[in-house]
Amino acid sequence: MNDINQKPPSVLLENVSKWYGEVIGINDISLAIEGGVTGILGPNGAGKSTLFKLLMGRLKPSQGTVRLFGIDPWKSTSPYRRIGYVSESERMYDWMTSLDFISTLARLHGMSRDEAVERSKHVLDFVGLEDVHHKEIGKYSKGMRQRVKIAHALVHDPDLIILDEPLHGCDPIARTSIMSVVRELGSQGKTVLISSHILEEIERITEQIVILHNGKLLAIGNLHAIRDLLDQHPHRILIKCDSPRELAQLFIREDPVYGVRFPEDGQLEIQTNNLSAAHDILPSTIVKSGQKITSIENPDDNLDSLIGYLLGGINNG
Amino acid sequence: MDEKGLSLSKTVWSQLDRKAGAIIELTIRQLRNRMSTWVVLGVGILLMALLLAFYVDSVREGFESIDNDGDSVDMDGDGYPLGQEIKYGHSDYNSDEFPGSSEYVRVSNIDYDDQIRRTSGNFTWEGIGRFDAIWKDTKYSGSSQWEGIIDWNIASNNSCPSGDVYVDWSPEYWGYACYYSDDEFFVYGKFKANGTIDVPLDRSINWGYYTQPFFIEPDLQSMYINEDDIDWNGNLLQSSQGFDDDGDCTRENWSIDNAESAFYFDYSGDQFDEDKNNNGIICDVLWEVDANGDEISSISPDSNVDEDPDDEKYMGESSHRTFIIGVGKMAFVILLGLFLPLFLALGLIRDETENGTLHYLLSKPIHRGEFIAYRLLGYLSVTGSYVIILSLFVGIITALLGPGDEIFRISDIPVWLGIGFATFLVLAAYGSLFNTLGLISPKYGVYVSIVIGVWEFVMGILTIANPNWTLSAISINHWALQIIDSIVLLAWPETLQLQQMSSAFNLETGLDIFWKPPVHTLGTSNPIVAIMVSMFVLIVFTIMMLVVGQSIFKNREIM
Repeated sequence: MNDINQKPPSVLLENVSKWYGEVIGINDISLAIEGGVTGILGPNGAGKSTLFKLLMGRLKPSQGTVRLFGIDPWKSTSPYRRIGYVSESERMYDWMTSLDFISTLARLHGMSRDEAVERSKHVLDFVGLEDVHHKEIGKYSKGMRQRVKIAHALVHDPDLIILDEPLHGCDPIARTSIMSVVRELGSQGKTVLISSHILEEIERITEQIVILHNGKLLAIGNLHAIRDLLDQHPHRILIKCDSPRELAQLFIREDPVYGVRFPEDGQLEIQTNNLSAAHDILPSTIVKSGQKITSIENPDDNLDSLIGYLLGGINNG
Repeated sequence: MDEKGLSLSKTVWSQLDRKAGAIIELTIRQLRNRMSTWVVLGVGILLMALLLAFYVDSVREGFESIDNDGDSVDMDGDGYPLGQEIKYGHSDYNSDEFPGSSEYVRVSNIDYDDQIRRTSGNFTWEGIGRFDAIWKDTKYSGSSQWEGIIDWNIASNNSCPSGDVYVDWSPEYWGYACYYSDDEFFVYGKFKANGTIDVPLDRSINWGYYTQPFFIEPDLQSMYINEDDIDWNGNLLQSSQGFDDDGDCTRENWSIDNAESAFYFDYSGDQFDEDKNNNGIICDVLWEVDANGDEISSISPDSNVDEDPDDEKYMGESSHRTFIIGVGKMAFVILLGLFLPLFLALGLIRDETENGTLHYLLSKPIHRGEFIAYRLLGYLSVTGSYVIILSLFVGIITALLGPGDEIFRISDIPVWLGIGFATFLVLAAYGSLFNTLGLISPKYGVYVSIVIGVWEFVMGILTIANPNWTLSAISINHWALQIIDSIVLLAWPETLQLQQMSSAFNLETGLDIFWKPPVHTLGTSNPIVAIMVSMFVLIVFTIMMLVVGQSIFKNREIM
């Protein structure tokens, strides 16, 4: 047993590798996570789900050790008392009502029937499904199903919540609602792991990220710190407006901007070495021009470019 | 470490009742939501309804008296039933032979090596010789040429070849004759005539006469049905009882007694033996009691004694029991016991994997072995209660309709409960087995299970036919069927006697087909021991399969 003063971290991976025959799922990852919301970022196939399945004791690591609260999840299911898991799987018992579904699973935590129903109602309210407790899950929209899954993971008031692509396929309203739920959990002091392949989603939830690429741990730390690093690299901002040439004249005088391009009619591409500085001058310059702007995009501000930069190359997409 | 952290060090084996309750309930609800569940359960109910219809239609309808020993037939259509023909030593396959018909009586013969080779007289002859006829019966003819009766019209026109017979020529066929001169013939066959015959050396001839036919009133065929009832005074004593009412064992006043002939069989197909049971008393029935002296354990009749009892007197009760035992063994243990698990247990965990819902259950603080056990309990609570309710339902109906003076045959209910219980154990054993097979190989488990199902079916049938056969003990059915056999003996002790009577006296109730005394009594002949042994085997098997299943599942990676 661990020393009483040395509380083991919620999640601890030491040199963990997992391969499926020839295919590598996770390659030599070491990681310790404790407290707050951590975004697990990576494109499809980066190993996010493999990582989570290792944590959930569904897979046995080929090498290394996995510990949840200091316990090996492959050998014992006892850590799951304190863990809520939202799988990427869409499948649920569609014939059950959400209240049934959650309370049945809550009872597997050793709750009595009444306790389970009470807690289930509470978590359903928490995820914003107050009105549909008694509706069959099969009749729910995708976003509602996703929220039921999250509610089910919260029913036993876990300390560690693992969410595998919870925003995948949700409409914007559900997305916003789920994000606020996750932020709320983080602010309650719980440890939350949330995976996504969309940078922007995670950015809206947390700053603490882990980036996985081809099964390897590519980066870990504060998203803004990583971003600042990236900002020193060439970056593009795409502005759609009526008269791009006029706007370009204003921008080219600004310090952070080192070049402009006109990729298409009514489009201006600004090239910069300092993204945040460029963003700082962006509103004032546009106001100055008095032009009508249809959109502003950061084509390089996605996970692929981020990974591209981290891998050392410049990925212009 | 905080309070929650401390609680982690404890085992996950806590609050098992709540977890078990949740998974059992979930399993029941899942089964309830599956179409195949209702189809299988519905088919089971339909099967029982059909069997009940059969019961009402035939088992309950009393019994037509049947000819248990088969002697009421008249195969040759001469108007005399077999039983009467046997008394007179006649065959029932020849319409020329019947009681009172004219019979051939042999007088004497000249053998191939006799010194005197000539004789004369008016007889029916059969053999070879040179015959000097005084009178010939030209009308004597048989029904076929194979009888070899000489046709004098042909013979008179057929002069014998020159030379010596058997030197220069030989007769062509049995029934051949030719003439030498007026009224002197060579004969080779059967004929009726008056005259003198010379028999060549190394040939022979028989002669005799036919008796005058006389009339005997043919018996009614119905006289040979139920003509030899079981004579038993009801005393549970080891004793010689029984009496040959129809006289086909004692054979008094029979005109011809074939008892010594090796070809004379009794009704059960054995060589006729008037003291077949070897108790020194001819034509009786030996009733033997069991070790406790409270049950007739064996009945051995001598040949043709009490062999054609009054069916109705014995059939009602026996048939009722046969129905219950047959339905319990075939419909409940073998069919329901096999098909319910095949449809409902095989996918208990496999389906969750396929549906992608397994992770909800496995990401909970439950041991995987615990999970399998609760799933099986859920399945068992559905199928088990179904089987128990169904058996009680059928039981109550047959107890109301069954024979006997009581309005409700209360003694049937323990038997039905026993059938339900035996089926329940089978459901547990197969459920555990098939579930484990589904875990070992999600893809091929179903095929292996079907192969095992066929094996079990065959072994079940063989166990019913002969529970002593060792090979059939390598099956789950075998042990469950033992439980039914044992419970029958406990609830209806006199079944042993009914079964002995039905096999000893040829009562076609099927009781001796469907029921045999329990075998696995460890030499005690005590049905309770057999139940204990069978329960032990089935429960140990179930737990073993559960352990195998959980040890496989525990180390399975779930993608």
